Amino acid sequence: MGTVKRAFLYVTRKKGKSILLFFVLLIMATFVLSGLSIEKASQEEQKSLRQSLGGFFTISPEYSGKNPYYKLMDDGDGGYTLHTERPLTQEVIDAAAKIDGIEKYDALTPTLVSTNLEVFPGNVPMKDKYNDLVYARTVSGTENNSYFESGTMKLIEGSHITPERSNTAVISKDLAEKNNLKLGDTISLRSAATEADVNVKVTGIYEILKPDSPLKNIITYDKIENQIFIDFNTFQKLMKDMPAGFMTATFTVDDPARLDDIIAEVKNISSVDWRAYAVTADNSAYLEAAAPLEKLQTLVTSMILVIALVSAVILALILTMWGRTRIHETGIFLSLGIRKTKIIGQYLLEVLMIAVIAFSLSYFTSNAVANQLASGLLQQNVSVNEEQQNQDIQAEIKDGYGDDIVYEIKDDNTTPSEQENLQGIESSDIGTSSNVKEISVTVSLFNMLQLYLIGFAIITLSVVVSSGTVMRLKPREILSKMS
Amino acid sequence: MSVLEMRDISYSYEKSRKILTAVNAVFETGKMYAILGPSGSGKTTLLSLLGGLDTPQKGEILFDGEDISEHGLEYHRRNHVSLIFQNYNLIDYMTPVENVRLTAKQNAMSMLKSLGLTEDEAKRNVLKLSGGQQQRVAIARTLVSDAPIILADEPTGNLDEDTAAEITEVLKNCAHQMNKCVIIVTHSNELAKQVDTVFRLKKGKLQQS
Repeated sequence: MGTVKRAFLYVTRKKGKSILLFFVLLIMATFVLSGLSIEKASQEEQKSLRQSLGGFFTISPEYSGKNPYYKLMDDGDGGYTLHTERPLTQEVIDAAAKIDGIEKYDALTPTLVSTNLEVFPGNVPMKDKYNDLVYARTVSGTENNSYFESGTMKLIEGSHITPERSNTAVISKDLAEKNNLKLGDTISLRSAATEADVNVKVTGIYEILKPDSPLKNIITYDKIENQIFIDFNTFQKLMKDMPAGFMTATFTVDDPARLDDIIAEVKNISSVDWRAYAVTADNSAYLEAAAPLEKLQTLVTSMILVIALVSAVILALILTMWGRTRIHETGIFLSLGIRKTKIIGQYLLEVLMIAVIAFSLSYFTSNAVANQLASGLLQQNVSVNEEQQNQDIQAEIKDGYGDDIVYEIKDDNTTPSEQENLQGIESSDIGTSSNVKEISVTVSLFNMLQLYLIGFAIITLSVVVSSGTVMRLKPREILSKMS
Repeated sequence: MSVLEMRDISYSYEKSRKILTAVNAVFETGKMYAILGPSGSGKTTLLSLLGGLDTPQKGEILFDGEDISEHGLEYHRRNHVSLIFQNYNLIDYMTPVENVRLTAKQNAMSMLKSLGLTEDEAKRNVLKLSGGQQQRVAIARTLVSDAPIILADEPTGNLDEDTAAEITEVLKNCAHQMNKCVIIVTHSNELAKQVDTVFRLKKGKLQQS
């Protein structure tokens, strides 16, 4: 009689033991499979978070002593202006944008200009010379600009500004109506810094979808209706002889997990002298949102290890206990000349036969358990994370950084320029941990394969360990024990 | 014709407790042997050595002139010998016919029938049979194997007189009609009277009587 037949007879005739073993294996498999599914779901959720939140880094001129090209220039008005001989040009930005993994960029620099237009007055009294000034916002392109991307503004007529454009402007619908302007009309700009005059053509008109609050204290040049977007070539003309460059370029990467690698690659671009520029990373949104998931994954990995270990121990104990009651049988098989390996093979096959059924059924039990378990564990991690964040904020306030915190959270009262400066902070808000309070867990075929591999390894180990004691004995010793 | 031979076999549990001392014996096919001796004299040890369940400290056991350790004891147990025990040693989760099939697939049912079991009995739980029937199953298991030697340890020890006589008759047939070498370890003088050759084990020495 073959090993498989003997194993089959044992499993089907010793029903009590088989059923008990079935339930032990089912429970073990349910927890291992749930753990594996949660781990996989957590990884997928993190991947999806990475894709949805993205990561950012900014390149801006280095305004510190580290920059050998930076100079303080007397502006003749009792003050000083900071200049760098190596401004952040479109060439530098283009070189960085070529790096694999960079999704898009948004470069900008605001400059104050006077115009021939009637503008919307602010409600904060200023010196006369500032009352007619507006911001000409030099952009690499309006399409990727944060105002347009966030849905604050929407282009309704004409086309977006692109890096190749020259002498073009995009203005608000309100400003256009107030001054009877339409596409193709010309407006004149005069730089407040150089007094250079440049005429630009209106090539686009935007609508304001999120207007400023009427209760907001706001300076004329900060009013959203007065914002004029211009191309970089126009800005260069406005700067006359002064070196013109962007104030900052924000790059979005497709995978925040690769942010450090991408920045390293950017800093390796040999055509750029990086002493002149500061590169700042910001993947805080992703890190903050992914924190509970990462904790969950660590917890689940530990859980799988503990469950696997405990299962192996329990299984080995059960099988050792049963093995002792099977000394008689082992002795008979040995006396009949059946090889020890075949006897162990039979014992292994018996457990595997039951395991195949238990593991297959655990697909259904795990689907029922995994979601509940994942939600519970994630909720716990989210609470811990939020508590930790609150404690950090409290600590920062105590340490005297309270102003920064107030600045970050007074969203409605910030000026557009402040809002631009807070771009990263806004992104962080998008990705707060509250976004990841639920996780959908489904058991996949891959998880089942993992379960079979882990389960069979545990079973093999347990059977070998439990059979070892008896198998080390000589047949005569076994037969003596029998009698 | 000599099939199994013991040459200068010595065995001891500890250095001070010698069980067998320089034992020599030759066993032939077609004959039935009995090894007699009081309890603790080493009868079962001797049978274990012949059956390849243990190894002697000294001497050698030859099957057809070849040391049984040459091919390994497992090989010897699988191919040369069949063992019958006092407590039958049947697998409790198998039917009689399945127990017999442990050693060979062929003739299991016909062998059981020839030993007096009905088809119904051959397919029921082995533990539901009487002692005599269980011993018949154990004998059937040895007979379906091609092993030329049957080693039996007190095969009638747990049986009543009539059943013991029947089993003894079966074993005699094995030797005389099936040309097997049957070696029985027993302390029963009645059984010893039925065999061809009797050995007595006394103080570790084996003597033919």
